[in-house]
Amino acid sequence: MTEREAFLEGLAKKAGRPRHQLKDHPLVPVNDLPETTLADKSPAELAALAKTNSEAVHVTYQTTTTKDLPAALDAFIQAKAAKTLLLPTTDAYQRFGLEDWRQQVQPTPTYWVPGAGREANLKAAASAEAAIGFADFLLAESGTITAATTPGQGRAFHFLPTHYLAVIPASRIVARSRQAADWYDREIKAGRLQTSNINFITGPSNSGDIEMVLIVGVHGPLDMTYLVVEDQ
Amino acid sequence: MTIKTSNEPFLTRLKESEQDTFMQKAVAKAQDAQWDKRTAARNELGHWEQWRDLGEQIRQHVIRYLPDYLEEFADNIEKHGGHVFFAKTDKEASDFIKHLAEEKQVHHVVKSKSMVTTEIDLDKELLKIPGLSLLETDLAEFILQEDDWDEPTHIVFPTLHKNRDQIRTIFQKLGYTGDNDPQHLARFARTYLRASFLKADMGITGCNFGVADSGLINLVTNEGNADLVMAIPKTQVVVMGMERLVPSLKEAEVLDNMLARSAVGQKLTSYCSFSTRQVSGESDGPEDFYVVIVDNGRSNALGTPFEPVLQCIRCGACLNVCPVYRHIGGHGYGSIYPGPIGAVLSPVLRGYEQFGDLPFASSLCGACTETCPVRIPLHELLIKHRQVMMNKLHTDKSFNNVIMKGIGVATSTPAMFRMALTADHVAMAPLTKHAPITVENEYPEGIIRKAPSMAKGWTDVRDLPEMPKHSENFRSWFKQHHKEQEAKQDD
Ligand code: SF4
Repeated sequence: MTEREAFLEGLAKKAGRPRHQLKDHPLVPVNDLPETTLADKSPAELAALAKTNSEAVHVTYQTTTTKDLPAALDAFIQAKAAKTLLLPTTDAYQRFGLEDWRQQVQPTPTYWVPGAGREANLKAAASAEAAIGFADFLLAESGTITAATTPGQGRAFHFLPTHYLAVIPASRIVARSRQAADWYDREIKAGRLQTSNINFITGPSNSGDIEMVLIVGVHGPLDMTYLVVEDQ
Repeated sequence: MTIKTSNEPFLTRLKESEQDTFMQKAVAKAQDAQWDKRTAARNELGHWEQWRDLGEQIRQHVIRYLPDYLEEFADNIEKHGGHVFFAKTDKEASDFIKHLAEEKQVHHVVKSKSMVTTEIDLDKELLKIPGLSLLETDLAEFILQEDDWDEPTHIVFPTLHKNRDQIRTIFQKLGYTGDNDPQHLARFARTYLRASFLKADMGITGCNFGVADSGLINLVTNEGNADLVMAIPKTQVVVMGMERLVPSLKEAEVLDNMLARSAVGQKLTSYCSFSTRQVSGESDGPEDFYVVIVDNGRSNALGTPFEPVLQCIRCGACLNVCPVYRHIGGHGYGSIYPGPIGAVLSPVLRGYEQFGDLPFASSLCGACTETCPVRIPLHELLIKHRQVMMNKLHTDKSFNNVIMKGIGVATSTPAMFRMALTADHVAMAPLTKHAPITVENEYPEGIIRKAPSMAKGWTDVRDLPEMPKHSENFRSWFKQHHKEQEAKQDD
């Protein structure tokens, strides 16, 4: 008997219940609250909720249009006085009309480059004063952005830079974590999304470990900006 | 540190805790602040009792089919190229990880907060490897490590017992020259730990929930350190209690919401991540991924009345409402799992010989059961522990002093009992105070903080509700209720 089998057999014996019963007794939830909570909200109501809840977790919440997006990004970089900028490698630039902008943006960006290796990408992220990333969803209920790791936008992309901005299409504002979890589950199981990591990020890093005093900005970014593109 | 944090007898620990007035004030402040935040977060979600039904159902289902879920989870981790090790004991778990670190010639380990790694004494074991450095990266755990591995005092806020001056002194040993402002202290830790992250070759994390149908590890944190531990080192080891599974992402999402609201009064924690071994094309994240699934006494609960304790999602809410925890703090319990959950869980993991006192460290007020997001009947399990000890071990923990015998006589003599019921409200009125409901005061209708004689021992450490008026006591209520029932039947 393998070590795993011995372990699992031991548990079944102690519990006094036979193994391999789950297939006939799948979990059928006692209620549908995860789906129905906030389900009656219109897109406009969800956007308003997203703003309130994002600001409640110390996020700078801004809206713009595709046309004004380059100027909004420049304003962010200037406001943070960032001397180094990290950008992802993604086809989102095209979707958001940012191809020209990224050729001209100052400071000249460093990219998270697929295939550049761990060390090079981590170094770029660690020395970035500002990062601009693209989120998959914005959860209205909690002011949370979500992003699945891709070869062009790695895990540390969201954690090592000092100031962070996430670009979110307004059409991707959903009610709660349930809608996002369902989407990821579906995409992964269908093989359309290959990722090792999904981040749900709710505002900047923080801690109450010293006398329960809220400190904003611990290991992750010191501040977060959500930029919602209203016509996307 | 193992589960047991102190070899001092229980009463000595209590005396020590009693003298730590800073700790008591800090715990009281934290409990009161959390009371408000938690209540607001739950109210805002709405239908909290139905959410509890769902949380309880998810956890019970997992425990009921635990071997099946573990099998599915392990298969999925291996499908993604990860490795799973099942450890029956703390030693098996820490030996496995130690050998792994030796085999991989690891030099720098970074860890994120994990109660299970404390339980298996992993840090100390790893530090026996010559040339290996290890750093706890959660701010609180880092403070405890740098303070010569001081004991945690709370499962969510481990440094509740430390003030900013003490933390400043600890950091001064590492080169800190600033003041005691928490913001400045935290910035110092950020810079100090950042360098360690970047050179780490092994990361060790805990696991809030393992997602059975995908093999993903779900971690929730506020500081972002756990995500760096999972992103930077080439090797990641996840250490988890064997019961911490959920069927799918859906249930993880439900419990993450309930956990954040119950633990810290947030809708979600700042970071909530689902991760596994790096996939092709990605440049960070672990290339080598190990999951160590630990029993270490948990299976003692299976098939027994204590099985519900395995439903726990470690939110710490039961600590935050407990009047005994408020008084004695975490260290008083002598277990890394303090408070009501610790008083139930510690004897399950390590037996009554080591933790037989803990089920008695409770007033059985039931506030813990009332707040538990997954409906663990904590106070009933404490009573069960007492019963088991009384029945099986024949230990006499009953009240047997003269006063209690006196009460026994009075309450078994109908005339004396009636007289006491009539007189107690009036007699105690001068001692009664009225205040709004808080964790400090669960009796807004009136409390007695300093009672004389036989109740003095009680009010030294607990509040006593004001005795009901004669017209409101149980006997009067029953008489009235009985009359009403009879009248109904007559209709
Ligand atoms: S027993 Fe319940 S309230 Fe206490 S820590 Fe566990 S889940 Fe939270």
